[in-house]
Amino acid sequence: MTDPNVIIWLHNLNALTGGLFLLVLFGLVSVRQVGGCVRLFIALSLLLAASAFLLSAIYHTWHLSVVGVVDIATKVIAIPLLLRRVLPDEVYTRREVAQVLNIPTALLTALLLAIVAYLLSKPLMAVGDGIAIGVNLPIGLSGLLIGGLTAAVRREAVPLFLGLLAMENSAFFAGIGVAPEMPLIAEVSIAFDVLILVFVVGVLTRAVHEHIGTTEVGTLTALKEEPER
Amino acid sequence: MSLLAIPLLPLAAVLFSLVPLGKRVAPAVTLIAAAGALALAVTNSLRVVAEQHVVVVAGWVELDGLSAILLLLNTFISAMAALFSWGYIAAHQREERRIRSYYAHFNLFTFSMALVPVLFQPAFVWIAIEFTAVFSVLLVAFENTHAALEAAWKYIALMFTGAAIALLGFFILFWAQQKVGAGHYSWSGLVMVAPQMSPVLVIAAFVFILVGFGVKVGFVPMHTWLPDAHSQAPAPVCALLSGVKTTNALYVILRLAQLLPIGRVNLWMQVIGLVSVGVASFLLLQVRDYKRLFAFSTVEHMGIIFIAAGLGARGGSYGAMLQMVSHSLTKSFCFFAAGAALLVLGTREIASVRGLIRTSPTAGAALLFGALAIGGAPPFAVFLSEFSIFRAGLERGDYVVTALLAIFITVAFFGILLHVNRMVFGQPPEKPSTHAALPFTCVLTLILAAIPILVFGVYQPAKLHELVALAAANISQAPSP
Amino acid sequence: MFHRVFFNVIQVVTTMLFAPLVSGVVSRLKEIVQSKRGPSIFQPYRDIWKQFHKDEVIPEQSSWIFRFTPYLVFVTPIFVTLLIPVLTDYPLFFAFMGDMLGGGFVLSLGGFFAALAAVDTGNPYGPVGASRTRMVGFLAEPVFMVVFFTVSFTAGSTIPYIVQQHWVTPLANFFEPSHVLLMLAFLMLILAEGGRIPVDNPAGHFELAMIDESKSLEYSGCSFALVKWGGHMKMFVLLCIFLNVLVTPWGLAHEQAFGAVLLAIPFLLFKILCFVVVLVVIESSLSKLRLFRIAEFLGAAFVTSVAAMISRLFAS
Repeated sequence: MTDPNVIIWLHNLNALTGGLFLLVLFGLVSVRQVGGCVRLFIALSLLLAASAFLLSAIYHTWHLSVVGVVDIATKVIAIPLLLRRVLPDEVYTRREVAQVLNIPTALLTALLLAIVAYLLSKPLMAVGDGIAIGVNLPIGLSGLLIGGLTAAVRREAVPLFLGLLAMENSAFFAGIGVAPEMPLIAEVSIAFDVLILVFVVGVLTRAVHEHIGTTEVGTLTALKEEPER
Repeated sequence: MSLLAIPLLPLAAVLFSLVPLGKRVAPAVTLIAAAGALALAVTNSLRVVAEQHVVVVAGWVELDGLSAILLLLNTFISAMAALFSWGYIAAHQREERRIRSYYAHFNLFTFSMALVPVLFQPAFVWIAIEFTAVFSVLLVAFENTHAALEAAWKYIALMFTGAAIALLGFFILFWAQQKVGAGHYSWSGLVMVAPQMSPVLVIAAFVFILVGFGVKVGFVPMHTWLPDAHSQAPAPVCALLSGVKTTNALYVILRLAQLLPIGRVNLWMQVIGLVSVGVASFLLLQVRDYKRLFAFSTVEHMGIIFIAAGLGARGGSYGAMLQMVSHSLTKSFCFFAAGAALLVLGTREIASVRGLIRTSPTAGAALLFGALAIGGAPPFAVFLSEFSIFRAGLERGDYVVTALLAIFITVAFFGILLHVNRMVFGQPPEKPSTHAALPFTCVLTLILAAIPILVFGVYQPAKLHELVALAAANISQAPSP
Repeated sequence: MFHRVFFNVIQVVTTMLFAPLVSGVVSRLKEIVQSKRGPSIFQPYRDIWKQFHKDEVIPEQSSWIFRFTPYLVFVTPIFVTLLIPVLTDYPLFFAFMGDMLGGGFVLSLGGFFAALAAVDTGNPYGPVGASRTRMVGFLAEPVFMVVFFTVSFTAGSTIPYIVQQHWVTPLANFFEPSHVLLMLAFLMLILAEGGRIPVDNPAGHFELAMIDESKSLEYSGCSFALVKWGGHMKMFVLLCIFLNVLVTPWGLAHEQAFGAVLLAIPFLLFKILCFVVVLVVIESSLSKLRLFRIAEFLGAAFVTSVAAMISRLFAS
């Protein structure tokens, strides 16, 4: 009943949000400033919401529009606000001076992971029947891997945690393409669960900042079975 | 209907803990709520034994054999931990605000853990397991020391990584069921349509959930957070983490494994289990901290349960369920004993402790009892369950797996007893006795928690046997096509 | 056939004539953004005219390379102009002499000789600038390659006229993710190759910090005029490739009429003006990167272009 041309346009726009999603993920691995990482995360969540809206038009299901709205409410508005409230302002002015992997290497590793993700999702796409699965599933899976890389490579607490949240965003990005009919209440609850998680981690980071004095959590390696000196 | 009340009781206790009513109210309310939840869990489990399946809201809130066993374990250990916390926290903390904050988090934690077996829709189970992780982070960091905060950070980072990976698995599972187009998205619905779902999708979902929740269970090589988190938390929380939370995550993986027919997946399960048991038992030998000792033992036992489930035969599944029960009960007792020892000694280091049995007979005896029990010595419950796993393995002819399992369990037994013997026996150092006395509630908990371990080692009540058999039926896989 | 040769000549004349104007407009706009008045937009023409009437001074130690390079630097962009769509969207007489890859090689030939000549002078600042230019060049090469490969793979040919058609006809193709990512990567490439902020400061006078400008330090008189003009034309050519093939493939002459071709000139200038505005915004809001961070900048461009390639290769 809908014009097939419109579907092609929507599909191309959805593919565009997917490409930009991948680009923002690369940025999350490499950008040094903490404030910059927060802005990139907001961009990531906006792209997720945009994809949700486009897919709800393609698949004719209003579930996904609600998912998009909830996503904007929690991840674009509430989470950055919450982080600003809970963490001391000083954290946002930091940037990573020394990295675990230098930035070009981190970017190339992220690229490799994206290629691996595409290869891994080929057998799954062969089974698929939805038009958007070819875009959302590989990019979601590569987001999962690149988010894991961010969490491993970053030292500062906030970018590390934003890498974890990006993993969850990517799992969602793949999920809305693959399972658009998932019961709405489950998806909304997942979003609110992430909100609680952010609050808890914010409190934890604050405690780390107060008691240990730094938010470079990637360098905390005291707990090991080392021989005593 | 009473099934819904089980998670709600701890939730009500949270409200009481938040109101400043004095130091005694919060622990008392927590204990009452936990005891009430336990009573309700027992009645519901008896109903399951009678009716095989209890349905409250079809497709969303149900109870079958496997969930009943898990619910019983959750509520029993929560009640024991609540009792132990009363004395432990009162001895450690003086500020009312800190005490109330502990109990508020404790109740949230037990609420989330009670949710896991009761909910029957996989996405909600994911949310419940996420809640268990989120609400326990601040408990792990409760002591606010450098080590505790570091452990809490590693804990939440790895937990959330696993959760995100598993989320994708649940989405793929939903996709697989949508393609078939029949049945409700719940555990029982999935089992019904399992033969018709596309194998590629089900295997993909299983792999994602195995990797994601494997991080939460502590399978090697994703176990690095477990010794840190399970040793830095206060003792009753450690008991809950090791005894209940990891078992909850393993429960989900076993539910997923059931959807695949017997085949190569069984080999993977056995290999993963063997690697976990092997690495953990050898890492046990060089710990410096007795709580980390018990934490590594948790990794080992999770591996044993997974191997048993991977054996595939009826006997293997029964052994896995029995091992789950005996491990949870015994491991929580071990952590209670370790908490008691920490109260008396004030240090976690094995090397600086000698002659505990002379310094504090209760703590020393409890520690020795726990070590023997968890290592698998008769006449304790773990011996019986491990024995049934060996028997199932030999019956099926998996000689290699059984032999390796026996070797690793022996190594672990040796390791645990090496350290504990060094601590318990010998001459205590000549320091004057500045050691605190054990609170009454802690001693009571130790006694109460020891009873099931002894009893189930020699006698299995008929109801329990039926329940475990039901649970085993719930995780057994379909024969290969 | 006569027409096609004639239109080719018009293309070359357009490039030669309007390239300094583009540079003049860029400088003027940057100054206006900084609340200053800025030089007239025709100043580059006056500079070139002045230099042609001056005496030339050549370093004693330099060889034939130094004398030969200005002519090469002047001619290579003209050569590339013959190959790319500047005013028309159908191939002209000389267009089949080389494809995009050939055009890229010719442009880098000019750059290569400019670097050699800088080393040839014996001035210490020359080799410093030359080595830095080479560093930026070799980091930018993979990006060029991947962009060209992806574009050719998408359109099925390496000839820019045919590539350009791919994005004109079904408009939905314009929003393909590979296209948008390629535009981003190519933009970063233009910033690097054209010596703009954030890679290099074209208005800087501090020799130790120069990357591109140091190549023309030793030239004077006629050679200097040729080198400057050639630099302006190289930028113009890059902009033509970017705008006419990737970003706005519309507004080019479709029929083989003289009037249509002349009409395409103001369209082209308008497109370049829009891009100049974007360029000025970028230049005014960023600061020059430290030298070791240029590798990160071009690494990001590389990753963007490979992401474009991936999304194109694995598209369903």
